[in-house]
Amino acid sequence: MSTASFGLSGTRPNRDIGDVHQVFYRVMTYLLAILAVTAVGFPIFWMVICSFKPAAELYVTPPTFLPHRWVLDNYVQLFEQTSFGTYFVNSLIVAFGTTFLSLAIGGFGAYSLSRFDFFGMRAFANATLVVYMLPEVLIVLPLYIYVIKMGLADTLIALIVANTTFTLPLTLWFLRSYFNAVSPSLEESAMIDGCTRLGAMRRVTLPLVLPGIVSVGVFSFNHAWNEFLFALVFISSETHKTLPLGLATWIGQDSLYSWGMLLASAVLITIPVVVFYLLVQNSLVSGLADGATKGE
Amino acid sequence: MRRPRQSLAGDRAAAYLTLSPSVFLMLLLTGVPMVTVILTSLQKVGMGETSGPFVGLLNFRWALSNHAFYSSLGHTFVWVFGSVGLEMLLGLGFSLLLNKKFRFRGVARAVIMAPYLIPSVVAVLVWRYMFHDLVGVINAVLVGTGLVRTPVLWLDSANNAMMSVIIVGVWKFFPFVVIALLGILQSIPREQYEAAQIDGASPFQQFWRITLPHLLPVFLITALVRTIWNFQKFDIIYLMTGGGPLDATTTLPVLIYFKGFTDFQFGRAAAVAILACIVLGLIAAIYLALIKFAEKRL
Repeated sequence: MSTASFGLSGTRPNRDIGDVHQVFYRVMTYLLAILAVTAVGFPIFWMVICSFKPAAELYVTPPTFLPHRWVLDNYVQLFEQTSFGTYFVNSLIVAFGTTFLSLAIGGFGAYSLSRFDFFGMRAFANATLVVYMLPEVLIVLPLYIYVIKMGLADTLIALIVANTTFTLPLTLWFLRSYFNAVSPSLEESAMIDGCTRLGAMRRVTLPLVLPGIVSVGVFSFNHAWNEFLFALVFISSETHKTLPLGLATWIGQDSLYSWGMLLASAVLITIPVVVFYLLVQNSLVSGLADGATKGE
Repeated sequence: MRRPRQSLAGDRAAAYLTLSPSVFLMLLLTGVPMVTVILTSLQKVGMGETSGPFVGLLNFRWALSNHAFYSSLGHTFVWVFGSVGLEMLLGLGFSLLLNKKFRFRGVARAVIMAPYLIPSVVAVLVWRYMFHDLVGVINAVLVGTGLVRTPVLWLDSANNAMMSVIIVGVWKFFPFVVIALLGILQSIPREQYEAAQIDGASPFQQFWRITLPHLLPVFLITALVRTIWNFQKFDIIYLMTGGGPLDATTTLPVLIYFKGFTDFQFGRAAAVAILACIVLGLIAAIYLALIKFAEKRL
């Protein structure tokens, strides 16, 4: 920036005023950026550092900024005194189950929607988008009735299937656009060389859409990892609770569960999400933008 | 290159075969349930039961003559338009900021994305801790700097609760708007700005004449998507306040949940859910008309 305006200095008469403007402009940009990052990031920063404060320090008014003493007590207590470990395992089962189910079923469906245009398929593709927008609280009423009637109340399998209500349309919609980006002629030339359609799909198309599959998988995982309403309605026993439900029952009981433990559990729930985010950062951002703009 | 003709029948079979599990699952999870909801809304369902005798539109009449329905509808509007309005405003500001080139922009973008990615229950936990009247950091700062004399009851006062919930919702969801708008901002050709600068256009004129027209369609669609999602938002509100204090934050989804799973009046819950869907449909229709209008004007 500065070198560019330096180079132009001979041709620009009011160079000094221009530079002052530019410096002012850059300083403002940095100030705003620092302010924005601080304001948005503070709750997360606060959560992390407070989870390392000893119990006594968490109840001091006014609160200390950085911990006087960094301790792991809250994390140790979390595993010793609560069923956090059980919740965590349940959440992993539900999230991976949901992701696998919607990718396995939706993957083939999306391929089909992308490559063929037989009767009713376009209408179905549009229907997936409407379904994705349906209120969860509307769907949960009938699903609860079915779950009770089928004897699936308080099971993780009920949660996995119910979660695909939203992850399957997502998978179909996003993967279809990823498949659309791979030209069918690539597959056709493989088929001319003696591949079957399935072989061409596996050898040619699949490697090309793998990033798409990974980011849709992360979306599905994230959705199931966060899902609260279905768990609240379907699950009743302590051994089948997922993390959001387990934690929700602790919220508001801060006399029983110390803030330290609550914050430590919040940090631990967030870790898988952060790991996945770092894994697919770029495709996630463009995927989100796509989803927003293609949302008709 | 054309596909050989004789494989068409085979293709059709393959297409329908691979699509059928998706169709089946979606029918099972949304098609059939929609029918069930409508049927349930026409029944009087007793406590502990899942179906009952048909009573016509009695549940709808109950809802439409009930104070709880209208007050929840009002709270829903305050929540939806309050949160969506602020999300769009912040989203626009932050996307314009992140569209500027500066060092550590990647870091700034990651931090600003973070609230959207963290689980709702985590967001609620952290904010409840920060809003706490005694040990919360927000009150500590406000009292410490002398801005207020006594700690503010952020969640336990009927006047403040909705505002607090909106703050959390906006913090959690405005990054979605940032990402959507940033994608468009980055796609605007640089030459347009350069040409405008040569013509002596001020930054404000550039924004008004170049940025805004490019941004508007996506801005409106994003507002629509956020409206639909915030309208049906349940977890944040339920976990922040449980709909209280004194129903002050009971929106329609929270009311539906209480009717269905606390009072176990499935007929009434279904009726309220259908009414909520109709309201949401109307709002979406207004948005779509607005979007059409805006596109025609450009």
